[in-house]
Amino acid sequence: MSEARDLLGVAWSGLKARKVRTLLIMLGPVIGVAAMVSAVGLTESAKGALQAQLSKLGTNLIIAQAGGTFGSQNPSFPTDAVERVQNVSTVVSATATANISGVVALPIQGASSYYQAFPAPIRAAGTNLPAVLEVPMVDGRWLNSADTQLHLRSVVLGEGIAKQYGYLPGEVRTVELNGENFGVVGVLGAVPLDPTLDNAAFITEWAAKNVLGSNGHPNQLYIRSQPGATQATSKAVPTAISLGGPDQVSTQIPSDALQAQAQANKTLQEVALLAGLLALTVGGIGIANVMSISVIQRSSEIGIRRAIGANRAKIGLQFLLESLFVGLLGGLLGAAVGVGIVYGVSAIANWVVVIDYGQIPLWMGLALLVAVVAGLYPSIKAARLEPLETLRLG
Amino acid sequence: MTDGSSAGVADGGPNATPPYGVPRHSGNGADQEPLLELESVSRVYGQEVKVHALRDVSLKVMPGDFMSIVGPSGSGKSTMLGILGVLDLPTAGTVRIAGQDVAELDDPTRSRLRGNSIGFVFQQFHLIPHLTALGNVETALLYRDIRPKERQERARAALERLGLGPRADHRPVQLSGGEQQRVALARAIVTDPLMILADEPTGALDSHNAAHVLEIFQSLQAPNRAVVMVTHDLAVAGTARRKVSMSDGRIVADVALAEVAG
Repeated sequence: MSEARDLLGVAWSGLKARKVRTLLIMLGPVIGVAAMVSAVGLTESAKGALQAQLSKLGTNLIIAQAGGTFGSQNPSFPTDAVERVQNVSTVVSATATANISGVVALPIQGASSYYQAFPAPIRAAGTNLPAVLEVPMVDGRWLNSADTQLHLRSVVLGEGIAKQYGYLPGEVRTVELNGENFGVVGVLGAVPLDPTLDNAAFITEWAAKNVLGSNGHPNQLYIRSQPGATQATSKAVPTAISLGGPDQVSTQIPSDALQAQAQANKTLQEVALLAGLLALTVGGIGIANVMSISVIQRSSEIGIRRAIGANRAKIGLQFLLESLFVGLLGGLLGAAVGVGIVYGVSAIANWVVVIDYGQIPLWMGLALLVAVVAGLYPSIKAARLEPLETLRLG
Repeated sequence: MTDGSSAGVADGGPNATPPYGVPRHSGNGADQEPLLELESVSRVYGQEVKVHALRDVSLKVMPGDFMSIVGPSGSGKSTMLGILGVLDLPTAGTVRIAGQDVAELDDPTRSRLRGNSIGFVFQQFHLIPHLTALGNVETALLYRDIRPKERQERARAALERLGLGPRADHRPVQLSGGEQQRVALARAIVTDPLMILADEPTGALDSHNAAHVLEIFQSLQAPNRAVVMVTHDLAVAGTARRKVSMSDGRIVADVALAEVAG
């Protein structure tokens, strides 16, 4: 036991004597382990954030877009498309929006021609759009039946366009749509599942038809299905709308795109793990190189140790232990750096940190193994040195 | 048992007791077994082009010997030191330590034998640069299963006896040449070896330090210990009591102040 302790002490003092060199050869294990810990930690944390987002938004939203025949400029659904869709047994709720084209929207009376050059998308929307999207209002209220019954010219701004217009919460604001004044009654919150809605302004179907001259045909349907029946509902919706006629409907499940993103992150994770393994391998080659040079530089030390009683095995073990220390310390430091990276990036991206601490000993063990294997050749070389060669007698 | 002819160092005085070792054998030289014996030893290097470094050499190193091995460059004296120190094995012939043929021993046993019985002093000192003087001397006790505290105490005692107590925590780069050689001497004697082998011990020193080191060698003589110096310097060789001359791999003369039996 004391012999083992003595050898560990000899190896440790050998590393301490050359601190810069030791730090440099530790870089391989540090970078390798840090890459692997942070690769797994970051992708799991990002996935966690995505999963949290998905569970908040739900995975049962379907968006149906009207697709027209070749040459059709503004494909649309029948006016009773929502009712048709609601006949599907697995549909929980549905609503529609209609694009109103050619509308010049100005954020205030007399606004500059910039807004004429870049018109904001205006959509006619049903009164239950926020409920179907499961998105809250960040200011004011959504359009309601009173707006329709009382023929009010009310408009709700998407979060993005509200920022663009400089709208302040609670502000009394009139926007001009094709020269007609509309009062802003609220701002809709961000819609992660359909970001195009963030830059749109919403008016009632009545206002769309009677003030702006729209034909009232919806272009998009937003449908919530029963949980677990999203795929089946998505397949049933085109049939329900077209009723056996030409199928001009395309459907998408937005949460699938987010899950595909999570899958892409998983692929990134695998790439980062491979990069970490490559760093470890290159680091191992570096350890072998530097330790081999060290054996040559320390040949005098090896010779005198042999002269005073160290046998070949002890000399070999001394250098192998130095490699072991490099792998151990490099792995520890790499794990700490990797965990730090995960915490740092998660703090910036506002993710919940997800680290599988049980995996870290695996990566550290790998670093240790690489370092020990790398140290084998220099150790054998040191053990085989003849004392007479190194002591330069005479 | 004391050796009246030795010169002490730290204690001063020509009749001071040698500082190291309790005599392991008593009795006069005629009854004693040789510490080390070479019998018709040859050493040849190379395969295609052979170099005969030693040719049919026979030599006995007795307890109490203070021997110099002299010869010009290429005479085989360094090879002789390697064979005497069990750092090398002969190509032919037999080397015995305390009657044991070293060729029959495996590497761990030979290494242990060196560590326990032989102390080395080299021209280039060969101190380990990242260790202090104390650490370098302690290293000689490292492979002998001695506890760290005892190692440190014995190493410190060895340094103090050679006048290097205040320099124990200095690294070799902080010591003069003479001080470094004294640290090497302390390392050689801290194990209380039966034989001290020195290869050109004053070769890298100025005359003042060389004289000091030679005084120390003289003080290391003991009835149970042999001191062997390999040197090309005849003045250094003249300080010993037995002079072995070598030429072309052979012993050409073996002269003692008093004849050694055998």
